[in-house]
Amino acid sequence: MKIKWVLIVYAFFSILGLLLLLSRENIYVVLALVLGFLLLGHRELWSLIRYRRLPVIDERVRTNLTNAFRLTGSFFFIACVVLILLLHFDVFENVPAGLIIGGLLLIVGIVYVIGYHYYDRVYPGLGERAARWLKICLITAGLSLSTVALAIVLHNVVSSWFGFEDAFFFILGLLVAPTVLVISLLGSLGIYLSGLFASSGRGER
Amino acid sequence: MKTRMKEYRAGLGLTQEKLAEIVGVRRETIIYLEKGKYNPSLKLAHDIARLLNARIEDIFIFDE
Repeated sequence: MKIKWVLIVYAFFSILGLLLLLSRENIYVVLALVLGFLLLGHRELWSLIRYRRLPVIDERVRTNLTNAFRLTGSFFFIACVVLILLLHFDVFENVPAGLIIGGLLLIVGIVYVIGYHYYDRVYPGLGERAARWLKICLITAGLSLSTVALAIVLHNVVSSWFGFEDAFFFILGLLVAPTVLVISLLGSLGIYLSGLFASSGRGER
Repeated sequence: MKTRMKEYRAGLGLTQEKLAEIVGVRRETIIYLEKGKYNPSLKLAHDIARLLNARIEDIFIFDE
């Protein structure tokens, strides 16, 4: 009963928010929000349409939601730190602030959707070893992405302070780190998909 | 973790859906439990064992 009222209030404010965004012609944000909602809540929606009731939010679902929320929170914190650093050094000089914040929130939303999907469907299909490798690949990807940002900043700092064109941070930021990023992302994607296909999540009635 | 949930459930003629409904979880949770891909809380393990007329250690077998 309590959950039902929480959902009604949540739905009311969501519709209000969407109407507000539509009135301000933010159609892409509305599309992203609706797509995210459908991806996350397709089971609940299907259950409401077919059985006229919400599925149980059991201990497994609660744990998955908490884990995804924790992951997204950590990502948001790190992304904010990197973004502040980049803004401080005028890396996004001609980009409107609304676009930067919108992009950040969109990426955070995507991380939440992927995070929840990972804990719900992929993680049960992965062995301990594969889960460890996925963690290593994702940490490597995160570090190389941060390295790109840091290298751009350090290249500008070194070039302006010492008065010569720095080559080390230039190669690191534009060649080495992006290559490592692509390799680790491809590795993560491979392990993610193998876990997804290994855990079918289907059984007999 | 290995589990003998499926044979105990089949012995009682329960479907995954019915078992899930009685213990208050989703059917996916029962599927993952039967495949040994989800470690249940002590309460859930207790509820399932009681429903299947068995002891927890008979149903959920943890590898050393």
